[in-house]
Amino acid sequence: MIRNSILLLIIAGLAFIFYHELSAYHGNDGLNETANYYATKGLSEVGAANLVTSVVVTYRGLDTLGEVTILFLTAAILALMFKTSHSQKETQKRITSELLITASNVLLPVIFLVGIYIFINGHLTPGGGFQGGAVLASAMVLMLLSISGRKIKHAVLDFIEAISGIAFVLLGILGIFLAGGFLDNSIFSLGTFGELFSAGAIPVIYSFIGLKVGAELSNIILVLNQTQNVEK
Amino acid sequence: MKYFSVEYISIFAGFILLLIGLWGIISQKNILKIIISFSIIDTSIHLILVSVGYIKNRTAPIIDGPVTRADAAQQVTDPVPQALVLTAIVIGVGITALMLSYALKLYEKNKSLEIDKYKSLKW
Amino acid sequence: MVSPIYIIAVLLGIAFLLGLFKQPGANFVRFAAVITLAFPVFVSVGWLIHFIIDPAEPFMVYTAGALPPFSINLKMGLEEAFMTSAVNVLGFFGFIYLYKTLKAQGEKAVVLFLVLIMGLNVVIMTRDIFNLFVFLEISSIALIGMIFFKRDLNSFSAGFKYLIAVTVISSFLLIGIGFIYYLGGTLNIDDFIANNNGLTRGLSTAVFLVLIAVLLELKPFPANGWALDVYQAAHPGINAIISAGTATAALFAVYKLLPFGGDLWLNIAVIIGLITFLGSNFLGISQKNANRLLGYSSIGQIGLLLAVMGFSKHLGEHFQMVFFALFISHFLAKAGLFWLSGLIAKDEIKDWAVLRKKPHLLFLFGLFVFTLIGFPPFPSFYGKWQLVMDLASNYNYWWIGLILLGSIFEGVYLFRWLGYAMKLEPEEGSSIKLDWEKIIPIAVFGLLIFLASYFTNEIFPSNFNINLIPVYFVLFLFVIDFLPAYIKNTIAIAGMGFYAYYIYPDIEQDTLRLVFAGIFLLGGILTMFAGYSVKGRRPGFFPFAIMMYAGLIGLVEAENLFQFFFAWELMTLGSYILIIRGKKSILHAYNYMLFSLGGAYMIFMGIALAYNGHTSISLEMLQTASFPGWAYTLLALGFLTKTAALGFHIWLPGAHAEAESDVSPMVSGILLKGGVFGLLVLFMAMGGEQAGEHPLLYALGWLGAITALGGNLMAVFQEDAKRLLAYSSVGNLGYILFAFAFMTNIGWLTGLTYSINHFLFKTLLFLAIGGVVWRVKTHNMYEMGGLIKRMPWSFIAVLIGIITLAGIPPLSGYAGKWLFYNAVITKGWYFQGAIVFFAGTIAFLYCFKLIYSIFLGQPKDKFRKVKEAPIWYLIPQFILMIGIMVFSARPDLILKPIGDLLSQSAYFPTDPLSWENVTASTNLGYWSGYKIMLVIGGMFVVLLAWLMIMSRKAKNVKQFNIVYAGERPFTPETTHYSHNMFAPFNKALGFLTTPVVTDFWNGVNDTSHAFADSFRKIYTGNGQTYIAHILAYIVIVYLILL
Repeated sequence: MIRNSILLLIIAGLAFIFYHELSAYHGNDGLNETANYYATKGLSEVGAANLVTSVVVTYRGLDTLGEVTILFLTAAILALMFKTSHSQKETQKRITSELLITASNVLLPVIFLVGIYIFINGHLTPGGGFQGGAVLASAMVLMLLSISGRKIKHAVLDFIEAISGIAFVLLGILGIFLAGGFLDNSIFSLGTFGELFSAGAIPVIYSFIGLKVGAELSNIILVLNQTQNVEK
Repeated sequence: MKYFSVEYISIFAGFILLLIGLWGIISQKNILKIIISFSIIDTSIHLILVSVGYIKNRTAPIIDGPVTRADAAQQVTDPVPQALVLTAIVIGVGITALMLSYALKLYEKNKSLEIDKYKSLKW
Repeated sequence: MVSPIYIIAVLLGIAFLLGLFKQPGANFVRFAAVITLAFPVFVSVGWLIHFIIDPAEPFMVYTAGALPPFSINLKMGLEEAFMTSAVNVLGFFGFIYLYKTLKAQGEKAVVLFLVLIMGLNVVIMTRDIFNLFVFLEISSIALIGMIFFKRDLNSFSAGFKYLIAVTVISSFLLIGIGFIYYLGGTLNIDDFIANNNGLTRGLSTAVFLVLIAVLLELKPFPANGWALDVYQAAHPGINAIISAGTATAALFAVYKLLPFGGDLWLNIAVIIGLITFLGSNFLGISQKNANRLLGYSSIGQIGLLLAVMGFSKHLGEHFQMVFFALFISHFLAKAGLFWLSGLIAKDEIKDWAVLRKKPHLLFLFGLFVFTLIGFPPFPSFYGKWQLVMDLASNYNYWWIGLILLGSIFEGVYLFRWLGYAMKLEPEEGSSIKLDWEKIIPIAVFGLLIFLASYFTNEIFPSNFNINLIPVYFVLFLFVIDFLPAYIKNTIAIAGMGFYAYYIYPDIEQDTLRLVFAGIFLLGGILTMFAGYSVKGRRPGFFPFAIMMYAGLIGLVEAENLFQFFFAWELMTLGSYILIIRGKKSILHAYNYMLFSLGGAYMIFMGIALAYNGHTSISLEMLQTASFPGWAYTLLALGFLTKTAALGFHIWLPGAHAEAESDVSPMVSGILLKGGVFGLLVLFMAMGGEQAGEHPLLYALGWLGAITALGGNLMAVFQEDAKRLLAYSSVGNLGYILFAFAFMTNIGWLTGLTYSINHFLFKTLLFLAIGGVVWRVKTHNMYEMGGLIKRMPWSFIAVLIGIITLAGIPPLSGYAGKWLFYNAVITKGWYFQGAIVFFAGTIAFLYCFKLIYSIFLGQPKDKFRKVKEAPIWYLIPQFILMIGIMVFSARPDLILKPIGDLLSQSAYFPTDPLSWENVTASTNLGYWSGYKIMLVIGGMFVVLLAWLMIMSRKAKNVKQFNIVYAGERPFTPETTHYSHNMFAPFNKALGFLTTPVVTDFWNGVNDTSHAFADSFRKIYTGNGQTYIAHILAYIVIVYLILL
């Protein structure tokens, strides 16, 4: 009882802090200076129709590199944590329904295509590497569910992950030499605004991000799946 | 009446969710419930951040359809908070995965998901 | 210069790439990682050198082809270059240290390591607040992946606690960042600072959330249980990275963000930092687990550094230097200590006794401990000095007090620990596995400490120049420590002799200094002679002995308070190690160190009080101290801990008695004079005769009198010869204090005579008894007896010694007494004088006991064949005896110049004493040492001759041939009554020797331990409680700020 009252008191105190923060909120009337820059100069500088993408991939590209790294780290930590588990035993066979297998055979290529579409068009549509990568990874979930017992090689995923990660970094470095700085997207021609091949390196970078995120999430799922089998 | 518009509702909901999540973290004994509380906090922060960048009667920051290149600055919402949320979501995914795998390992070691069973280190 | 962006690109690129080489090239992966980690070292150290040589504008890295605040930018200035260099060097050596561990964990662990170092670099360099958040997360996550390397329950649960704690903290950070962007319109740190001067409530709350979050990353006390658990559970190699690396980056993040909050947050940083420093170190005193203890210490140090940041306004241009000095000490020492802990691979601090088997590692351990505490010549000494002085000039006395108190707590556990490592018996069969990849990083960091010390000395304000020649000589002795003892002894003596010659011209004019320099250097050389009787290498002895003498002579040479304090601490450090070398000295050395630390900090505080409002720091500055009452009292108390005044004396008997035979004379006859010299410096500052009846002097006079009585009384009832001498020192120092407190010309002359005498006879007695103990292997006097025939020379030495001690004519002790009576009568302190006089009569009792129990009576069977004391003990004894004779016969040789000096000085113009050749006279009477010598000498010769003539008829009988007695003794002991010799007196006066003081200090000790023990129960081990702590901390700080 005492414990709960203390905890409630703490939460009340936090609510008090948040109240002060909330009371400072009064909506927005227009873009602030930073956002205004992105919405005006940014259009010609980066050339991506999706402003969020231009911020994510270019202006705040270093954040995005960090983001990718976090997923990379997570996958690595999981592999490290369960390392002893997944090397030792055969995964148990699970009986998969015919329906699931057939459906997945049909759906898998479609899901892959959708995922790739999403990240390739990240500079034009509300999509991007992370979204596309997540879709790709969902294909992996489906594969795991339907094709029970088959080993999906970490090596392939690791390869994709490594190559796309290095490509991301190299594209960033190219920016130093060919354009205005690390991760500057204008190393390639900015192209026509709104076209698929536009916005310089953004589609390329986003594709690598998509592949990397897909591979990383798949790795995470894979590791967790294998531990699940071991648990039994 | 302005407090009933969408940005106020969402930011208010965000803070309420945040408090609920924090309460969950310090009151729930079960590690999985604690992790769920963290997910609630994540969501609440995303809500708050997105609300912070919202501008009434404006659309997504994509130059497409009605939004023209020339007066984009008058038509779109702030892209920065959205970019931040995108990053925050990804980080949240990573953290959640880590928490769950830690929970798994803890369970493997001690066969319990009660957080107060893990007090061998103290003082 | 290589752009720092390549640090990110290379580390990250290689980390990604290593995913490809998992199966076959296992070793290749780690080899590649080592090369990779060398790259950021190369880059950041390159920048560091660049900025040191040429303090240019910081280099900015812009990304995305746009300028900030629209894109993320990185900054590489002097500060960033230094911090990244620290992190990268740590990364490089930390990786080497963890080489085998990482091998066992597989290539993913290597990847985590690379990414961690990359993340820390960006945290330091980035100028974008959200980017900071992302890379803080990266570093935290990478760490979380390394905490569980041990793969036991503890490491997993600690990792989980860490994970949820940092996630909660980063949630607050993220909300704060969101609102900073909303209200401030930018994410760029510089842009925000430049454009947001007035903070509205909403913005200040946002700033609060951001700052409290980054502060919580520093693990402020008491919301830091999660971090402590990690320190306890994780691999020590990882702990080193957390303590020295992650904390470094987080600290720098705070540094970057603090301007958000303006002056208010500087104060918050001070409060949070000092609470952490004090609290963490206080709880540390009852901690037994080595890694957890290091965790406490680490958190405490970071708290201090945080406070330094908060003080940046007060420190002004000194900020960088202070921060550098304190930071580098923490950084190098803490990493080194954690690495050592990994080598030992045991939990309890008592297990560190195993270090005794590896003296080099023990040396490194001591080095790290002394660096942390802030002994000279290590950087943190300079840092603390400058910090305290700058705080003092802004009247921040309470802060200084807290910093010093925290440092004492730190000393409590660090020196207990060091004592264990040096003195406890290692567990059976325990050993240290010497892996080279683990030794090298520790050794490199040890070397870096010396480099950093040199560098700190260089950047320290130049008017504080320290004469480093003695320090280099000490270092040289460390280097040649592998040589046999006699060679090193010769070198040491030669060094001291040369130094005496070297400084003689400087102090020739100042007789007072000359006398003390003589005691310290010539006395030092005499005591070193005894060292020739030691066979073998005697590892570690000579550097520390010389360090003590270097400190002592430094006191004499000091021209300003900084040099004085430097020397004072150097002396403390050296003498501590000398004392702890004794067989049973662990507790006594510990007590000595704690009292010394406490005393040193009182002196420090006194200096700080005096410094206020001054720009110079010269010794004369004390005369115009701003708060003279406080400053003088603190200084006096500080010096009294070293002279072991009653109340502070409990360390002395054990420390002096248990020390090695030739160390006892050093620490008794000579070291104590260091404290005396300090008192003299203080008294001179107090203005000589004008100080007159200053209440402090009056109190000190009483204290001296009571100390004289107490010390002598306790000496009487000792059975241990060296303990007896030690207590006698307490009493003698009481006389000296009493005499100086007169503050008259003749009083000072008395005090100096006492000091010289005490040096002569106590060194002589300790050498003589030491020589005896060397042969008979016991300190207990009742086990000896009748040694006069076996050790006639030692007997003569003791005889001369006690005659001097007791103040019996004709020897110089009587000169002291004569002056003393004159002084008491002129001053009029009759009652105190009577007490001291009474104490003097008590001294007869123990003098008699000393010579009777040891040399007279019946010899014991087992000592019938015992040999005379080693020649190397006898030589200095005879030199000292000659010294006593000369001083007794011609006291004017020394006293006249001193008297002249005193009366010429502004302090003591009235000189009641006049000299006529050898005869001194006052208006109370006259005295001539020379004549007395002749008279007494004549009487002695006559009596001796008469005795010889009379005893011609005497018949020599065997020991047991007591034919005229009623019974025949079967054991010699029964005819030699020496055990509990003064039982009747004990009955009468023994109550005066109840160990009240010891009980008091034990009580202090027990209470603080009990308190610390119960307070640390707040760290329940429950991760949820830790989160509640964090949240409550946030709320409380917010409410205080409102």
